Amino acid sequence: MYHNSSQKKYWTFNKEANLENLRLEANQKFRAKALSLRKPGISESMFLDPHEEKVLFRHYEKRLLDFCTVFKPAMPKSVVGTACMYFRRFYLNNSLMEYHPRTIMLTCAYLSCKVDEFNVSSTQFVENLQENPAAQERALEQILEYELLLIQQLNFHLVIHNPYRPLEGFLIDLKTRYPLLENPEMLRKSAEDFLNRAAMTDAGLLFSPSQIALTAVLNSAARAGLNMETYLTECMGLKDEKETLSKMYDSMRRITTLLKEYELPKSNEVNICKQKLERIHTEFNSNTSLKRKHGYEDDDHVVKKPLVTEEEWTDEGLDLL
Amino acid sequence: MDQYSILGRIGEGAHGIVFKAKHIETGETVALKKVALRKLEDGIPNQALREIKALQEIEDNPYVVKLKDVFPHGTGFVLVFEYMLSDLSEVIRNSQRPLTESQVKGYMMMLLKGVAFCHENSIMHRDLKPANLLISSTGHLKIADFGLARLFSNEGERLYSHQVATRWYRAPELLYGARKYDEGVDLWAVGCIFGELLNNSPLFPGENDIEQLCCVLRVLGTPNQKVWPEITELPDYNKITFKDNPPIPLEEIVPDTSPQAIDLLKKFLVYPSKQRINARQALLHPYFFTDPLPAHHSELPIPQRGGKHSRQRLQPPYEFSVERPLHESLVDPGLIHPHAWGCL
Repeated sequence: MYHNSSQKKYWTFNKEANLENLRLEANQKFRAKALSLRKPGISESMFLDPHEEKVLFRHYEKRLLDFCTVFKPAMPKSVVGTACMYFRRFYLNNSLMEYHPRTIMLTCAYLSCKVDEFNVSSTQFVENLQENPAAQERALEQILEYELLLIQQLNFHLVIHNPYRPLEGFLIDLKTRYPLLENPEMLRKSAEDFLNRAAMTDAGLLFSPSQIALTAVLNSAARAGLNMETYLTECMGLKDEKETLSKMYDSMRRITTLLKEYELPKSNEVNICKQKLERIHTEFNSNTSLKRKHGYEDDDHVVKKPLVTEEEWTDEGLDLL
Repeated sequence: MDQYSILGRIGEGAHGIVFKAKHIETGETVALKKVALRKLEDGIPNQALREIKALQEIEDNPYVVKLKDVFPHGTGFVLVFEYMLSDLSEVIRNSQRPLTESQVKGYMMMLLKGVAFCHENSIMHRDLKPANLLISSTGHLKIADFGLARLFSNEGERLYSHQVATRWYRAPELLYGARKYDEGVDLWAVGCIFGELLNNSPLFPGENDIEQLCCVLRVLGTPNQKVWPEITELPDYNKITFKDNPPIPLEEIVPDTSPQAIDLLKKFLVYPSKQRINARQALLHPYFFTDPLPAHHSELPIPQRGGKHSRQRLQPPYEFSVERPLHESLVDPGLIHPHAWGCL
């Protein structure tokens, strides 16, 4: 249940500004850490600023979504929603400059499949990367290497409540208790689109899944030229609850604004940021495998098979998607 | 990890070793379940994820073992649970005579409260068995090992694996290969555990999956569409046919048992999952309200780990002697002083 979930307790924030602050902190933390190394030729200007991080975040988030959409076998919506939410939660407290989003996005998708019981084997998973077998193996190695870091950064809170189920609930409710609407199914398509777009905003970090779903329903109705105010006042019994009602409208407006404000970053902007990102990763993160960086200890005697190569698998394969 | 000092090994689970340890700061004894990730080609095992998932999302309940913490360690991570002395399988194994009716009621009540709590939180455990019902040093029973637990939804469009639950406690629909099932599988297991407590031996001890089905069919009678309409839809229904067998009255299977106990047992052990009595209703069954009443947890046996016989009431934690001079039982203030001065 959402009301006693870790999502509500630990991952739902009051204000948009709180989220921005956390991201800013993560950005500054990385800068400070990198500068403290006193490497020659390093200046503030080579780092990504919060806006540039946002550009890249959106770019990789879209790629994550595309990857999930064409995934074979078809991924259930909740798995996709969970993956996106992991990605969002991860970069709330971490800078993209610290952990490369290309690896994190795949790790999010991989973990989400497992947590949501969408059972695909690891090989099956990386076969979805349009890459040669060697590159697939390298990708898998990285995913497995980052999986632990990911669940740790998620604070071991793995269950995500997505708005897809509440949407089904509202449609059933409309069919049974709201005769004013002749064919509630007609709202589905555009409501689902709304939810897919909401997944690419901070809505899930600010509002409950049912609030987002309700907004999707009302928005879809408005698009069809229908006014459903009586559903709130009569069916939900909010007629005399002026305060609740106005709060609800306020949340719905904020959710809609988040969606309206969303725009996919332009490709030239993305490319500039990407170059910066790659440079930062070569400068600060290359050749330090995660294991060493986090002081992973060797606590058993298993002979680990040598890493295939240190070379990173590239973006190109993903771009073919 | 430096927060804990390891006291010993408790056992080995499917995905790692379980240690007994002391939380240094609080002095509390805990069980550490270490999940190592080496050599696992699929990364973090599903069982570990399920356990974290189920236990992170539910509030504390006295009848469900508490996940106190999770932290990364080495190439894996560690789950910290409250420490439990023993489990119900040891209680059954170590009791020289059958448990008293009042003790059985005591255990059943705690088990049902735990199961009711899980089901109300949309979690089906899928692997209830005496070895997963831990017994604390105070005699409390707590459900543990959520490695197979899953969150269920009533929409039921997704398929589940039928390879769940330890064979003896596996519900008939699972034996017939059902991929869509519900929390009824837990209620069947509760029935099996109930029978085992009453008889002091497992109710359906099948040696393999086919024989398991035979065991169940022998007692409940060969199912047909009349008693179990859904049976024809089960994947393995047509793969195997059994000759028609009438049911054996449960009174003969569980002899010398009160009529109320038999009546409740019958309500768990029915073929159609939806007809099994749910945990909340079962708690209201007259069985729990007739003499002898359920035993208080302090009246329940607490065996030691490793099977030493200590059926009797638990020992008081300290020996008190009235004659001993008071200063001998006090801690020398000089010893504490260097550690305590920071707090002053």
